[in-house]
Amino acid sequence: MNELLQVEDLTVRFWTRRGIVHAVNGISFSVAPQETLGIVGESGCGKSVTALALMGILPRAGRIVAGKALFEGRDLVTLGDRELRDIRGKDIAMIFQDPMTSLNPVLTIGKQLREAIEAHLDLDGGQLERRAADLLDRVGIPNAKARMRDYPHQFSGGMRQRVMIAIALACEPKLVIADEPTTALDVTIQAQILDLLRQLVAEEGTALILITHDLGVVAGMCEHVHVMYAGTLVETGSADQLFAHPRHPYTLGLLQSVPRLDAGRRQMLQPIEGQPPNMLTEPIACPYVPRCQYRREICGQQLPLLEDRGHGQCAACFNPVPPDTWKRTRLGGEAA
Amino acid sequence: MSVAEIEAREIQMEGGSGDLWSEAMYRLIRNPAAVVGALIVATFIAVAIFAPLLAPYDPREQNLDLIAEGCCPGPSRDYPLGVDDLGRDELSRIIYGARFSLLIGIVSVSVGLTFGLLLGSIAGYFRPLDSPIMRVMDVMLAIPGFLMAIGIVALLGPGLGSVMIAIGVINVPIFTRLMRGSIIGQRDNDYVLAARAVGVPGRRILASHIMPNAISPVIVAGTLALATAIIDAAGLGFLGLGPQDPATPEWGTMLTDTVRYLQSAPFLAILPGVAIVIVVMGFNLIGDGLREALDPKLRGRA
Repeated sequence: MNELLQVEDLTVRFWTRRGIVHAVNGISFSVAPQETLGIVGESGCGKSVTALALMGILPRAGRIVAGKALFEGRDLVTLGDRELRDIRGKDIAMIFQDPMTSLNPVLTIGKQLREAIEAHLDLDGGQLERRAADLLDRVGIPNAKARMRDYPHQFSGGMRQRVMIAIALACEPKLVIADEPTTALDVTIQAQILDLLRQLVAEEGTALILITHDLGVVAGMCEHVHVMYAGTLVETGSADQLFAHPRHPYTLGLLQSVPRLDAGRRQMLQPIEGQPPNMLTEPIACPYVPRCQYRREICGQQLPLLEDRGHGQCAACFNPVPPDTWKRTRLGGEAA
Repeated sequence: MSVAEIEAREIQMEGGSGDLWSEAMYRLIRNPAAVVGALIVATFIAVAIFAPLLAPYDPREQNLDLIAEGCCPGPSRDYPLGVDDLGRDELSRIIYGARFSLLIGIVSVSVGLTFGLLLGSIAGYFRPLDSPIMRVMDVMLAIPGFLMAIGIVALLGPGLGSVMIAIGVINVPIFTRLMRGSIIGQRDNDYVLAARAVGVPGRRILASHIMPNAISPVIVAGTLALATAIIDAAGLGFLGLGPQDPATPEWGTMLTDTVRYLQSAPFLAILPGVAIVIVVMGFNLIGDGLREALDPKLRGRA
């Protein structure tokens, strides 16, 4: 097995005042060394929870109730606090969504960078300083040495996310999990940050799990894409295949709901109707049924499993979308 | 936020001086009330430190000849604030009294802060200990503070040390509660999660990430507590629970000793009272100024 990370049947639940939230329901996937994997889904579908669960930093109310997450042969789920702490930041690092709040406002950028390095590497003062400055320089912060003495509020959002990337890469991790790294940023800066991330990941040979709701981001960066809905993976495959021939109605809906710059002004957006399901009940049928245009009777009675649909693509659906539907509707859309 | 806005904001922020404390300092010195408070407190501390140089007489030296004609002669050229019922120079006693008030304030607030910060941080960060610690604090808060201070002094025996301990103890639940709330407010912040994701150990996160963010309301409360401590000490002194050596020039004790002469020599009771009021006001002004200066909502503004 040469996978870097292999997640099997990961199940996470939250115990809340209103009941048990089934946040992640038995998802399985793997990441090869140096691979870039995209996980796509709407807010609340369990993307971020998956990331936090893998890092072992779930909020107190949440717990992994089943499953395995083998990282280089070690199961992250059963590792102790101490061992997990040694892996966090050193082998697996994480980049968070909102750079405005992910940096401590009262500590200098340099202090926070040094802390990330110190947590795992034993360097003396001079080396530490040099390494921190070097990291800042590599993420494209001009005048890195001087800016180490600055505080986060003296940096713009894009700059702060660069700092977060520098912190994530501080100990040359083997895997970086980026949880919506560009969602909080301006569109023009988003592209810069993604470029930077792509370039650094390639240089370092780091594997990357990119969690996002932005299909454009995934299409441009990832080899493989997993589409997540209500705590389950509903479709997986290579990015090219998945975006050309979506088989799961939800993937199709996501693709159709992206506003297009070349669409006519009068053309309506095509949102996915309805709401994501209530996660308080254990899923016993396809969670997408109430919103699905392709539903059949069986969909409301049984839970579909991920099945191979050819070309390395899997979809969990009893009545998958015909492979060329997206192409047809897209062309039709342009004609209208 | 557009790119232009971000840039504008960045420029504006780069104009700022940097860290929390220097920024707070900057705002503090632009607040006239806080400056007045600082001047009062600075004067008070200077008087306390240099008391032997400033006082014209020994505060314990009795001159019974001066009160031969009854108590008590008012201000004169030799005794600018008059003499008390034992013929001691009132001015020197008030000057030396500043030492005791300062000592009581600092020691008792330090006692309260030490335990309060420790217990509050533990209760706020280590959840299993939250309830046990806070229930004990609730019990302490249920007893009126001054009453508890009297009880503690009664238990330990009257004296300066007991007064300081008692006032320190009644401050502990106040600081604990405040620190706990402040820690809880910071605990679930993204930067804490980010620090955990980097592999920083829990205790380090508490000490170097959460504490600096959570401590400012406690500092404000500590400054205000200095004022209350001085009042409480004067109160305990007035009740005769303060320093037992009658010669000790403690402001509260001075009030008690002269209460009998309120009609013939009211200045003897008024002067220590005025001293207490001025010093307490100074600390309150600084405390309020600090509160405003450290308000996170005002950060980044001039």
